[in-house]
Amino acid sequence: MSRRTLPYLWTLLFLALAVILSIAIGSVFIPPADLWRILTGSFSGAALPEPLKTFAFIITSIRLPRTVLVLLTGAALSGSGAAYQGLFRNPLADPYLIGVASGAGLGAVLAMSIQWPYSFWGLMAVPLASFVGALLTVFLVYALARVGKAVPKTNLILAGVAFSSFAGALTSFLMLRSTGELRRAISWLLGGASQAGWGPVLTILPYVVIGLGILLLSGHTLNLLQFGDDQAQQLGLPVSRRRALILMAASLATAAAVSFSGIIGFVGLIVPHVMRLWFGADYRRLVPLSIIAGAGALLVADVIARSVLSPQEIPLGIVTALVGAPFFLWVLRRAKNQGFW
Amino acid sequence: MLTIEALTVSYGKRLVLTEVSLEVNSGEVVALIGPNGAGKSTLLRAVSGIIPAQGGKVRMNGEDLLARTAMQRARCLAVVPQAVSMPPAFTVWETVLMGRTPYLNFLGQVSTKDEEIARLALDRVDALELAERRVGELSGGEQQRVLLARALAQSTPILLLDEPTSNLDLHYQVSFMETVSSLARQDNLAVLVALHDLNLAARYSDRVALLVDGEIKASGTPRQVLTPELISAVYHLPVQVIPHPFADVPLVLPGRG
Amino acid sequence: MFRKLVFPLFALALIVAGCSPSAISTPTPVPTLNPTITLTDGLNRTVTLSGPAKRIVSLAPSNTEILYAIGAGAQLVGRDETSDYPTQAASLPTVGGYSGFNTEAIVALHPDLVLAAGINTPELVAALEKLGLTVFYLSNPTTLEEMYTNLETVAKLTGHATEAAALVDSLKKRVAAVDARILPLNSRPMVYYEIDATDPTKPYTYGPGSFGDLLLQRAGGANVGSSLSGQFAQMSLEQLVVANPAIIILGDSNYGTTADSLKKRTGWEELDAVKNSQVFPFDDNLVSRPGPRLVDGLEALAKLLHPDLFK
Repeated sequence: MSRRTLPYLWTLLFLALAVILSIAIGSVFIPPADLWRILTGSFSGAALPEPLKTFAFIITSIRLPRTVLVLLTGAALSGSGAAYQGLFRNPLADPYLIGVASGAGLGAVLAMSIQWPYSFWGLMAVPLASFVGALLTVFLVYALARVGKAVPKTNLILAGVAFSSFAGALTSFLMLRSTGELRRAISWLLGGASQAGWGPVLTILPYVVIGLGILLLSGHTLNLLQFGDDQAQQLGLPVSRRRALILMAASLATAAAVSFSGIIGFVGLIVPHVMRLWFGADYRRLVPLSIIAGAGALLVADVIARSVLSPQEIPLGIVTALVGAPFFLWVLRRAKNQGFW
Repeated sequence: MLTIEALTVSYGKRLVLTEVSLEVNSGEVVALIGPNGAGKSTLLRAVSGIIPAQGGKVRMNGEDLLARTAMQRARCLAVVPQAVSMPPAFTVWETVLMGRTPYLNFLGQVSTKDEEIARLALDRVDALELAERRVGELSGGEQQRVLLARALAQSTPILLLDEPTSNLDLHYQVSFMETVSSLARQDNLAVLVALHDLNLAARYSDRVALLVDGEIKASGTPRQVLTPELISAVYHLPVQVIPHPFADVPLVLPGRG
Repeated sequence: MFRKLVFPLFALALIVAGCSPSAISTPTPVPTLNPTITLTDGLNRTVTLSGPAKRIVSLAPSNTEILYAIGAGAQLVGRDETSDYPTQAASLPTVGGYSGFNTEAIVALHPDLVLAAGINTPELVAALEKLGLTVFYLSNPTTLEEMYTNLETVAKLTGHATEAAALVDSLKKRVAAVDARILPLNSRPMVYYEIDATDPTKPYTYGPGSFGDLLLQRAGGANVGSSLSGQFAQMSLEQLVVANPAIIILGDSNYGTTADSLKKRTGWEELDAVKNSQVFPFDDNLVSRPGPRLVDGLEALAKLLHPDLFK
């Protein structure tokens, strides 16, 4: 029994450490002793002297919401990545395979080219547009790939690639035309947790929870799909329906994650692979492990992004690529079992 | 008992199967033979419901199988495909357990009964000692046996096999077909197996159905169907048919006498 | 956040005190209130300070220049990375700039005013607002008059009204001096101002609506980019050859472009400006940062375009 729970223990430990790091590290140095006083003080309710009050404020109002946002984003991207890889039986699959990223980017850049009034909805315009753009793209790609009643995998990938190119070209064109917003658009596209407070967290929480919830329950379905559509259906799986459900859930979670954090690559691709290498290809475990490890991995990347060139912040998408790629190559070289696919 | 009634399948405008009718009784093995492109795979795929049929019916003891859901159909017939590009990372045990899917819930939780059935299936195909091995490490013959065990675990009265011996060496070809035919008898299964090797068909089936260009040209006992005139005409190759030296079946030899 | 409650609470206390029986009979001395400052910023937000700002964080180089110019430099406690003028600014701690701002660093400086500019995003303003900071968004001016108004606005926020008035006065005089020599001119030389020519066949220049265009014209030049579209207009080498500017101003000399490197570009050697050695380096910050140095930029351009008039 402990062989089955051990992976969960390791990944949860990793996540816990990452959360602690994320709260403890920032451009303002908070001595560990003060950090301890703040955490224990918040339970006893005692009033804190300055500068501890400022530190406490930084932790509760800046670092904590950011930690939770990054955690949710990493969980959503990795869980969806694992689902996409299982769904398409493709090691190169990531959550952006059928166009979520390009749709989100186009929506965001379109919204950025309009001057919205400074109000709640005006500030929600960009995240909302990117969320809608992401989901619209998935629907469009799905409809384009349909052949009669079935939606063949290859069609989905091809339609996704075609649409991504199209949307990407449009986005680039828009960005070149509006030089004023260019830096803002580039910044968004490279990824990073820009908004503060609990607003973004509360906004994306329902979508991430619903999406990941469905994915967590879809492990058996994904296992069956590894044998190919034909065999899965012959074993009793209503393939088209289940695939549509998983796609929708994964896209929902990804779209929500991307709407506030921009396009963060690599996490959705690498984390499931590493989990597969270390803990096996059973999707009933792969999906939850990817979710936990992905949350931790993105938190670590975010800490690096915030602290290496402090107070400057490196866009998160750059850090995940720069750090993720060598790490993955290292894991690959040390992989004992070769037949991990 | 499996009854295929006037099944018609077309890919777009091209007619692939024309009014194919065939009966497979419980406890018997029917071999489906015919040249490449005759439609053998298509027939099996249409019967198992993964491609739509434009006409005709597939019945099990009178019930219309194509009208049922995939899950219900999976409790009636199981398919043993060719052992190619199997997911290498699953263990044999995990693979065979997949066969219990039609009886499991959405999450795929298995009961001890399911495990018993899976264990029994592995035992029947003589692969119990492979249980913890990864499928990717097995030989072709072993993989094919695992797929047979998976189909057995599905506990269906009907078994369809799609050219299971194509990638197997001589030893495995024979041992596999022997297992299939003895299982058919012991469990009273209706077995329809597509084969390209005429002599395997002759040796291990009770009846043979010859499929040419999407139509059943002939069906009957091996002796009735495997005649030199019919086989030469269908395969465009002169053949001789002689009595098998030690079995009571015909032996097909390509070439002139 | 707490500061915003001070005034209403104080007022409430006054009313309560005024209503007490003892207050009715004996005259109570009315305490003097802090003079509050209430202004509407570029995002239509009402910003209230209880007094002139004493700890200011500037999020844009133009804001930093404005603050120092009106004498509020000593009230600065933090700046963005790109604020490099005046040189005293270098000693201030930075809070971000190129790829986003570090809200922690800003909060840790305990500012009572964060001065944002057109270059900052509304999301940043909202984020800082949510953290309880007072943010004022100074939108980009499109004319010199709007720039003067911005100076006066910042002066109100920081308590330097007199210095600002004097500054605006002197700026106006300097601009008038340039106008006096330029306006009577009959001919204006064709000038090409280069913002970026990473691709020498498709360079970028100032187009209509930009301060660069405004100042080039005010300084007595005919800007090649005036007939293009967009503030940062891209033109083709062909268009440039046809326009054949008499003077080329290198706004990208801060990035290393020199007259010599321009001469080496294929097709550029035929331009009149190149043949007559009328290619000059220029500090683009003088026309791109919407602050008082725009007037410096105007004077520098006028000197380049009409050296005989401005010795």
